[in-house]
Amino acid sequence: MSIPKLELVSLAKEYNDGAVVAVDGIDLSVAPGETIALLGPSGCGKSTTLNMVVGLEEPTSGDIHIDGLSIVNIPPGKRNVGLVFQDYAVFPSMTVRQNLAFGLVVRKAAKDDIDRAVDEVAELLGMGGRLHVRARDLGGSEMQRVAIGRTLVTKPAVLLLDEPLSNLEAAARLTMRRELRRLQSEIGLTIIYVTHDQIEALSLADRIAVMHAGKILQVEKTSVICERPDHVYVAGFLGSPPMNLLAGEIAPGASGAAGPAFTHGPLTLALPADCPLGKGSYTLGLRPESLRLVPESEAPLAGTVSLVEFRGGDVVVTVDVASVKLDVILPATERPAMGQSVGVDFDPDSLVFFGGDSSRRLDVRPMGRPL
Amino acid sequence: MLSKKLTLFQAALLAAALAVVLFPVFWILMTAIKPPTDWNASPAIWMPSQPTLVNFKTLFDPDALKEYGVGGVSQSATKAVFGSLLASITSTALSVLIGLFAAIGISRYGAENKSTPLVILSGRMFPPAAIAVPFVIIFSNIGLTDSYVGLIAIYVAATLPFSTWMLKSFVDDLPREIEEAAMIDGTSRMKAHLTVTIPLIRGGLFATTMFIFILNWSEFMFALVLSYSNVSTIPVQLAKYVTATAGTLYGVQAALAVLAMVPLVIVGYLIQGHLARGMTFGAIKQ
Repeated sequence: MSIPKLELVSLAKEYNDGAVVAVDGIDLSVAPGETIALLGPSGCGKSTTLNMVVGLEEPTSGDIHIDGLSIVNIPPGKRNVGLVFQDYAVFPSMTVRQNLAFGLVVRKAAKDDIDRAVDEVAELLGMGGRLHVRARDLGGSEMQRVAIGRTLVTKPAVLLLDEPLSNLEAAARLTMRRELRRLQSEIGLTIIYVTHDQIEALSLADRIAVMHAGKILQVEKTSVICERPDHVYVAGFLGSPPMNLLAGEIAPGASGAAGPAFTHGPLTLALPADCPLGKGSYTLGLRPESLRLVPESEAPLAGTVSLVEFRGGDVVVTVDVASVKLDVILPATERPAMGQSVGVDFDPDSLVFFGGDSSRRLDVRPMGRPL
Repeated sequence: MLSKKLTLFQAALLAAALAVVLFPVFWILMTAIKPPTDWNASPAIWMPSQPTLVNFKTLFDPDALKEYGVGGVSQSATKAVFGSLLASITSTALSVLIGLFAAIGISRYGAENKSTPLVILSGRMFPPAAIAVPFVIIFSNIGLTDSYVGLIAIYVAATLPFSTWMLKSFVDDLPREIEEAAMIDGTSRMKAHLTVTIPLIRGGLFATTMFIFILNWSEFMFALVLSYSNVSTIPVQLAKYVTATAGTLYGVQAALAVLAMVPLVIVGYLIQGHLARGMTFGAIKQ
């Protein structure tokens, strides 16, 4: 790969003399034209990271490079980084045209150039007929279009979007998501997209960086991150519902068993004799998509159906297996009855083990077939 | 603007409230055009028998009332009117200007804590009478009594807590992101405030200016104790329309009061849209 468009190097931000660590030394490299989603819950440091990139906050330590050059000592307006805020931040007393032109007027561009750039961006955003309207009279999704357009007019090297769709209602959010997808492919910008909504992250980003408590836990291609979570937290965050996670122990099996066994409370799962995992604590991950319901007699696990959640095309079934709740995703046609006794089976290859201490995924194939 | 019709009951209630609020204004207007015989007649005369402008004339020509047999009015109100204009306009402008910078500073860059309101507003917790005497002593020591500079200084000091606090609430309501967006677009901090913050709190700025102006325009006590012959304001002049022979000159007082109301009514009417908006502004999120 050539030099990355944007690179964060051990970037950290502390408040109150280190009492609060908002961003805890993160490294991230974004290729030109790539869209990367920073995904994580509220307060995990996503927005602070963006604010440092754009220059509204000063890093405590670490560095930020654009095209290989450090930008930390450059004021916000000169970094050539655009930021779109969650609450639109359009100037309500100005018209759409004045809003779009603002960045160029501040930069003292020639009037003809400003008009041309504004018209071009308005066209791109489908706001061509609304240029004379005052921003305060616009609807939510129109305001966000103007906010994005105002940033695009200045042709930023990197575009940062901070939960841009969070304040929109569901229908507008879907439309704007498609709109963003289209803009992305038409202008080919380098984008960092901050969100706590994994659907947005999955549908818009090339790669997803999952953040938690100021750290980036995993950066992975969107197409594989759900199946190969590196960390217990990522496994428990991604997916709807997320992976079933069972924290337990591996111990030598009872006499007569072929190999060791994994126990999580009252639930025991026998492992094959050649299982490479030694004695100790682990977290077992079972993806809801890779579980299926079978007749009780044929299954390694048995329980009763305690909840059936219909979602249109499929159902999420919660099965109580010896007081452990497992989520299973099934096609809607295979919907079981509440209280029904069922067996739960899985493809052994789909089992994932995480180290009990590190919480990291262990790259082992522990299974032949259990039992 | 009202978009729905009022019910009969609501209209009646509003009319009753208006009657109570507007009655003193009506009485002042009527008294201002009453001849001396009608001023405190008993039973009260509601509409003047022979409307006259002699009370207004007296304000600028103290001898005008002599045709009604009332003498002893010693001085014209011209000086008081100009004095009030000078002191009120200057001190309001200074108070709002300083308050605006203070408000932006506290709202955006200050380390606000629980005691901030106390620190800013405590100066207003004393009854003015309690600090009037110390002010008289200090001002006479530094030669500021009976001067407009002194009066303006004290008006700015007295109203600055209000202007700062009111404007701060308007700045607080404005999302910080909107200034940050301007900075990302390339403006300096100062320019972001000048081009974005201040235009956006314009409604609040008008409302605050109006409020401070009314405070200064109607201030009586400091003007009274700190002025002798050089300085005069309308409220002080109002109190001077008492003569040994004819008692209180109600008609002349009413005329001056009407004159004092005029600028407030005009300005209030001109900026009424902003006054209403000043109270509801700040909604950026949908």
